[in-house]
Amino acid sequence: MDIVVLCKFVPDLVEDLEIDASTHLLDRNFLRLMPNELDDHALEEALLLKERHGGTVTVVTVDAGDVDEALYTAAAKGADRVVKIVGEGLDQGLSSQRLAALFAQAAGEWPHDLILTGTQAVDDLDGFAGALVAARLGMPYVGYVTKVASENGAVVARKEYPGGLNADIEIVGQAVLGIQSAEKPPRYVVTSKVMAAMKSVTIEEFEAGDAQADLELPITGMAVPQSAAHAEMIVGSVTEVAEKLAKLLRERGLVA
Amino acid sequence: MIERINFWGLHGAWHTLAVVVTYAALPLCALVLLVRLYLRIRLWWQVGRPEPRWDHINMRVQRLLKYAIAQVKVWRQAYPGLMHFGLAWGFFVFFLGTALATIDADIVKFLRGPLYLGYKLLLDVFTVIFLVGFVLAGYRRFVQRPERLTLTSPFALALGLIFLIVFTGLATESLRLASVALQPELQPGWRPALGWITPAGWLLAQLWLALGLTVPALTQIHLATWLVHAGLVAIFLVTLPTSALVHVITSPLNVFFSQLDRPDGRLAPAFQRDGLAGVATLRDFTWKQLMDADACTECGRCQDVCPAHASGQPLSPKKVILGIKNALTTCRAVLRGRNGNGQGEWPPFTGAVVEDAAAWACTTCRACVAECPVLIEHVDAIVDLRRCLLAQQRADGQLTTSLSNLRRYGNSFGKSDKQRAKWTTGLDFKLKDIRKQPAKLLWFVGDYASYSPALTEITQATARVFQRAGLDVGLLYDAERNAGNDLRRVGEEGLFELLGQKNLAALEKCQFEQIVTTDPHSYNTLKNEYAWNGQSVPVYHYAETLDQALRGGQLSPLRKLDTVATYHDPCYLGRYNGVYDAPRRVLAALGCRLVEMPRHRDRALCCGAGGGRIWMEEKNVKERPSENRVREAAQLAGVQVFVVACPKDLTMFRDAVKTAGLEGRLVVRDLIELVDEATRPLEPAPAVNAGAGAP
Repeated sequence: MDIVVLCKFVPDLVEDLEIDASTHLLDRNFLRLMPNELDDHALEEALLLKERHGGTVTVVTVDAGDVDEALYTAAAKGADRVVKIVGEGLDQGLSSQRLAALFAQAAGEWPHDLILTGTQAVDDLDGFAGALVAARLGMPYVGYVTKVASENGAVVARKEYPGGLNADIEIVGQAVLGIQSAEKPPRYVVTSKVMAAMKSVTIEEFEAGDAQADLELPITGMAVPQSAAHAEMIVGSVTEVAEKLAKLLRERGLVA
Repeated sequence: MIERINFWGLHGAWHTLAVVVTYAALPLCALVLLVRLYLRIRLWWQVGRPEPRWDHINMRVQRLLKYAIAQVKVWRQAYPGLMHFGLAWGFFVFFLGTALATIDADIVKFLRGPLYLGYKLLLDVFTVIFLVGFVLAGYRRFVQRPERLTLTSPFALALGLIFLIVFTGLATESLRLASVALQPELQPGWRPALGWITPAGWLLAQLWLALGLTVPALTQIHLATWLVHAGLVAIFLVTLPTSALVHVITSPLNVFFSQLDRPDGRLAPAFQRDGLAGVATLRDFTWKQLMDADACTECGRCQDVCPAHASGQPLSPKKVILGIKNALTTCRAVLRGRNGNGQGEWPPFTGAVVEDAAAWACTTCRACVAECPVLIEHVDAIVDLRRCLLAQQRADGQLTTSLSNLRRYGNSFGKSDKQRAKWTTGLDFKLKDIRKQPAKLLWFVGDYASYSPALTEITQATARVFQRAGLDVGLLYDAERNAGNDLRRVGEEGLFELLGQKNLAALEKCQFEQIVTTDPHSYNTLKNEYAWNGQSVPVYHYAETLDQALRGGQLSPLRKLDTVATYHDPCYLGRYNGVYDAPRRVLAALGCRLVEMPRHRDRALCCGAGGGRIWMEEKNVKERPSENRVREAAQLAGVQVFVVACPKDLTMFRDAVKTAGLEGRLVVRDLIELVDEATRPLEPAPAVNAGAGAP
C-alpha cells in the first residue's frame, strides 16, 4: 500500500503569540513553528500500515521555513520519500483553503492508495484541510480516524464519533483519511538516526504551481469576546443543593 | 635440628606414587585447568569488541593489591568480610605454603629449625582462620540464606570441596603428629613440647591418640588421607574453570583491567553497529564487559544496594551481569555456526536476556559499582542496553515525550527557552548576562532549578547568597540547554552530543573562569563529559563554591542555626565525583549539628530520579526509594531537617515526606536555604520568610 502523508507546520503555543495589527494575522517575526501533532499521528499510522502490508510512505510538507529537520526525522522513522513544496510566500501563513490546494496539487505526484493527514491542527480546529484536499482530488474523506486496517485488499477506517461511538468504514479505492490518533503513540527516533538521515536522505522539492484557494475570507477586525453572564454557583449542604437544583430544572422546564 | 621431611611417611611404592602424583598428575591437572580456562576466556576477545585497558600499569598493580589481595571492598561488610577473609587468606597461605615446600624439597633446603616451626605455625593458624570462615559461610548459606546469594548446589559443592581439601590437609598433619608422638624417631628433633607449635593439628592428634591407634595404623590412615587430599586438589584444579571458585582467577584479572582511562562520571561513547547504537547482541559488549560477567562472584551485594531492586522493580544488577555470563556460555554454538558457514546468527541480548523493564529501572546511582568487591561496571552495561532499546523504539511514552521536548526546546519541561531565566524577574538585582558581560563565575542553572515552579524561590535564594558572597556571577539566560547528563544515561547519545554542542557554542563566546552548577547531574557531565576543546575549565557544584566562600570569609553566617540535620548525598555529587566533605563543612559552618543516616557518603541511597528515571513512568513500585530514604532519616532521634543539594532531590523528597506521612516529623530543605537563612541580614520588619518578590 502506498501512502502519502500530508504534514503541516503550526505555531508553537509555548511561545507568546502576537497578532500583527495590520494583517490581523499572527506576527510571524517571532513565531516558532512546529509540526502539527496530529500529522505526526498520521505519519505513525502510515508507518504501521507499511510495516504490516509493505508499500511506500511519502511525506509531503509545505516549506514554511525550518522544515528540513522534521522531514529528516520522518525519513529516519521510516518514510521512503520526503518532499517539500517550495514557492514564494509560503512562509507567510496559509489558510486551510490554500494549503489544501497546494497539497492536492502535490499529492498526486507520488504513488498513493491512501492520503493520510492530521484531522485537525491548532490553526484548523474545524479540520477542513483534509476534507478540502479530498474534494479537490475527487476522493472520499473520512475524518477523526483512530485506526486503519487492511484485510484482503479492503481498507477499513475506524472513525470516532462523539459520545464514544465508533464506526468501521470500508473504503473502496483511493481516499483521504484525517487521523485523530495513531494506534500507538508516535515513535521517537533517536537523534543519531536523524543525523544519519541528514547525510543520506535527499529532500525532494516540488514547485508550488498557481494552485489558488477557491475562497479566501478576509479578516476585517478582531475583538476579545465579551463575557455576558457568569455562572451561578449553588452553595449549601448536599440536600440544599439538590433541592435548589431540582427546583431550577423544573422552573426551566428541563424536567417534569 | 627439626626439619621438614618431604613425603613424610610415604615409603617404597607409595613414595613413588606420591612423586608421580605431585610431579606428574597434579601438574597435568594444572595444565587441564589452564587449557579449560583458556577455552573459556578466549571468548572474551573472540566475541567482545576491543577496548584498550593496558594503560596505567602502575595503578593497575596498586588496584590489584588493594582490591584482590587486601580485598578492601569485601571488608565493607563485616560478616561476609570476615568470612571471605578466612576462606581466601586461608587459601593464599596454603598456596604459599605449598610453593615454599616445593622450594624446600626441590631447590634449596631451608625449612629447618625455627624457620620450619614458624612455617608450620603459620599454616596451622590459617587453617583455623579458614575453618572460622567456613563455619561463617556455612551458617550464611544454609541458615541465614540471604536473598542476594545464589543458593544453588554448585556453590555448596565448591564450599564443601575447599573444606575437604583443608580438612584432609589438617588430618594428614595430625596423623603425622600422632605417629611422631608415639615414636619420636619418625621425625628427628621432635619433642612433645613442639606439638603446640601446630595447635589445631596437635589437638586433632590427641583424638587419634585417645582412640588408641597404633603407629602402623596411623601411618596407613595418613597415607590414605594424603592420597585423598591430593585427589581433592586434582578435582579442584580440573573443575576450577567451571566452578564457582573460578573467581579466584577472573576477579583479580577484572580488578587489574578495571576502568582507569576515564573518570567515573564519564561514559564510554556509544558503539554503533549497522546503524544501531548500544548493545543489541552479546558481541556488542566489549571484552572487558564480558570479563566482568565471568568475574562475578554472585555475592549479590549489588542487588542488596540497588534502589530499583528494593522498590520492587524487575532489576537486579547481579542478574544483568549473570545474564551476560550465561549468554557467553551458550554462545559457542553461534561461534561454531559462524565459523562453519559464515552465517552465525547472534540471538538478541537486549530485551531477551535482560528484559526491557529491568534496563529502564536503573537510576544509574552507581551504588552497585561502589559496592562490587571485584570492580564490575554494571551501570555502563545497562546504559549500553538502553542505547539499543531507545534506538529500537522500546522506551515508554513518558520518556519519549520528555526526549521530544528536549530535542525541540532544549529542556525536559517543554517550555520556551525564553522562559528559562524567568525566575530572575523575582530578584531585586540583575544577574549579569554572561554573553554580554564577562564574569568570574558562569552559573549553569540547569532545567529543574530554572523551570520548576516549586524551585523558583530556592533558585532565587541561590542568587542572593551568591550576591551576598560577592561572587561575580553571570548566566547564559536563554542560551543554556539541558547539559545532557541524564539524556546520555537514558541512551540518547546523539541528543546529548547535539545539546552539548549547543551549550559549548554558547559557552565559547563567553568570558568566565569557572562554572558553578546547581544540579549535580549537570555538574557531572560538564565536569567529566564535555570536550572543552582541550582546555580545562574548572567546574564546581554550589556546595563547593559556598564552602570556599565560607572558608575564605567572603560569606559569613550572621547567626547559628540551631538545627539538627541529616544530609543526603546526591549520587552524582558523591559517588560519581567524591564531593562528600564540602556540603558537610557548609552545614558545620552554619552551626547545624549533623547526624548521619546509616547509609551515607558512598553508601547513600539514591532518591530514584537519576539516570532519566524522573522522566519515566513509575510502575508497580513497592516502596519508592525516596520514601525508604526519608523513613531512614526519620529513624534518627532529634533530626528535624533533611538537607539535600540537588534540585531533583528536593522534588523527590518533598513528595516522599508527604506520601510517607512524615509531614511534621521531617522538613526537606536545600542546603542553599540554610545558607540563606544563616547569612541573611536582619530586615527592619519582623524576619519572616517573604519568599519570592519580597517587598
